[in-house]
Amino acid sequence: MSTIVEAIDLRKTYMLGKVPVEALRGVNLKVEAGDFISILGPSGSGKSTMLNLIGALDKPTSGVLRVGGVDIGRLNDNHLAEVRLKIGFVFQFFNLIPRLSAKANVELAMSIADMNSAARSKRAAGLLNAVGLKDRMYHKPAELSGGQQQRVAIARALANKPKFLLLDEPTGNVDSKTATEIMSLIHKLNREHGVSIIMVTHDQKLASEARRTVHMVDGEIESDLVN
Amino acid sequence: MKILDILRYAFSAIKLRKFRAFLNILGIAIGIAAIVSLLGITAGLQASITGELTQGLSANSLIVMPGGDSSGQDSPGFSIGLSGSGSGFNLYINQTSDIESLSPNITSAIAIIQRTGRIVSDDLNRSVTIYGVDYDAYAQVYPSFSAESGYIPVNPQNDDIVLGSRVVDPAQNGTQFIVPGDDVSLLWLNATVLPPVYENYTVQVSGVLGKVGGGFGLAPSDGAVYIPLSTAADFFDTDACDMIVVTLTNSDNATMTEVTNLIKTYYSGQVAVVSSDVLAAVLNSVLSYLQLFLVGIAAISLLVAGVGIMNIMMVSLIERTREIGILKALGMKSRTVLMIFLGESVILGFIGGVVGVVGGWVIANGVTWVLGSGLLGIGGNLSITPVLSPLVIFGALAFGVGISVIFALYPAWRASKLRPVDAIRHE
Ligand SMILES: Nc1ncnc2c1ncn2[C@@H]1O[C@H](COP(=O)(O)OP(=O)(O)OP(=O)(O)O)[C@@H](O)[C@H]1O
Ligand SMILES: [Mg+2]
Repeated sequence: MSTIVEAIDLRKTYMLGKVPVEALRGVNLKVEAGDFISILGPSGSGKSTMLNLIGALDKPTSGVLRVGGVDIGRLNDNHLAEVRLKIGFVFQFFNLIPRLSAKANVELAMSIADMNSAARSKRAAGLLNAVGLKDRMYHKPAELSGGQQQRVAIARALANKPKFLLLDEPTGNVDSKTATEIMSLIHKLNREHGVSIIMVTHDQKLASEARRTVHMVDGEIESDLVN
Repeated sequence: MKILDILRYAFSAIKLRKFRAFLNILGIAIGIAAIVSLLGITAGLQASITGELTQGLSANSLIVMPGGDSSGQDSPGFSIGLSGSGSGFNLYINQTSDIESLSPNITSAIAIIQRTGRIVSDDLNRSVTIYGVDYDAYAQVYPSFSAESGYIPVNPQNDDIVLGSRVVDPAQNGTQFIVPGDDVSLLWLNATVLPPVYENYTVQVSGVLGKVGGGFGLAPSDGAVYIPLSTAADFFDTDACDMIVVTLTNSDNATMTEVTNLIKTYYSGQVAVVSSDVLAAVLNSVLSYLQLFLVGIAAISLLVAGVGIMNIMMVSLIERTREIGILKALGMKSRTVLMIFLGESVILGFIGGVVGVVGGWVIANGVTWVLGSGLLGIGGNLSITPVLSPLVIFGALAFGVGISVIFALYPAWRASKLRPVDAIRHE
């Protein structure tokens, strides 16, 4: 199996005014293609920071982070943007562009990747169909439930055929029934389509559904267990 | 991202904030409309003056007016549509025979008295320019001085008067309020006595000119009233005139210069002697400065609109921080974010520009119509058709878009520099 993410002594320090905040303090992690990892940990332990770095949204302060073999820390803004194109990212809140319909949100990701309009319309419809939103395509985010919005976000994250999917508390603000639906969608993507998954969650039970659970405390990995 | 997709996305952002977009467009449109209408009116004025000069003045004539200078150069020391020079120096009617005898190259010299007054009849009361001219001599210098209805009386057979076509038909729609044979009253405000009084006399109309345009006092015009020179001298109680038109045997430079110098010497340098060419050039350059000045002011209003755009964009930048974060997280490059914001300003600037050009054209036509209608009691004798060249149209559009883009540069740059993590954390 090939390694898609590799972190070596990864550190991230934010400056809050003059006070340094060490969000990541020497993280080592390896993710193989096709893996399904959940990241657990208390609030402020650096989970989102970790995910943002892997998603090339930010650069590490020190250490090495290779995503798809490329050292993120050495890339310029333009190249980081190109790396992001190949990564599917689902955030916890306010994921979608409010003025665009579900379908237009999914298409937007493809138009950023220069796909032509006929192809992206077809693919967006297919993806929304796959996440069970066939009859909600032309609804605006405000006209969708939290769970439906999150499924649109997943469809959009898949738009450019990413090698892996990063999810930051994808079930954070939906009820348990919807959470189960979203989880089964994620499982299906992993199992049937071979999409690697890295998912941050607070929910012990959901975390245990992953193949591997990484526990973070205070910017460090406390445990890394195969379930 | 493809340029069409960028524009489409930019447009969707504009549509979301319609009122804001409307204000932006309005700001640009007002500035552009001001520029376009001012350019259109002044260009129309220019065309009208040039037209009047070329059709009214033959190349071999010179105009003598008070207001020369000691340097002996042809100076723009004339006053259009006004009477008297205010300097105390006057041209006199009886000097025309002296001038005629200055050189064998001079065919004729005619005096013209010009005053602003009113014409009053049963159906009409409007502001006009009254010219006192010798009908025969005037018609010889200006071929356009010929009656379309009635006739031009042979001097000094009677005191009958001749009217420009717009005087009898102010709306220029064929409804004539006065026909030859009618009696009308002429009025002028005599301010040389205190309190000022309206002098007036009643006279019969003998002829109406065909449509000739004009209105700058350099040739027959649609808004003018013509009375015999001697009558004018009595009526206005003066033996001074406002200009003397000198016709020469030929129009070569040597003759023009020779006669010009002779006339200047005769008046000891206190007159301006200009040919129609020089007059046109001077008028045009005066108008060009005027144009530059007015358009400069209008351009400032566009800058204000630009600052407004910048302000609104800065606000929307803050509101859209999260959106920008999402776009960047989806892999959008900084320069694409920049182009989206600039694209919005291009769309706003373009719509504002189009609205402004159309609005400016409408305003220019409205203003020239009012000037020509005499509704304001002033300038009723001016007939101007606004002129808009493609250069002005495209220039104005480009200017609108340009201003819009320039002021959007900073907000757009700020947007493009947002770091995706910070943008996503933004609530
Ligand atoms: N942009 C930032 N500037 C300053 N400090 C930051 C920034 N982002 C994160 N931090 C700090 O870094 C630490 C880790 O934050 P992070 O968001 O990674 O935590 P988390 O594990 O995702 O928490 P939660 O479960 O609440 O989402 C926190 O102490 C946080 O305050
Ligand atoms: Mg978090």
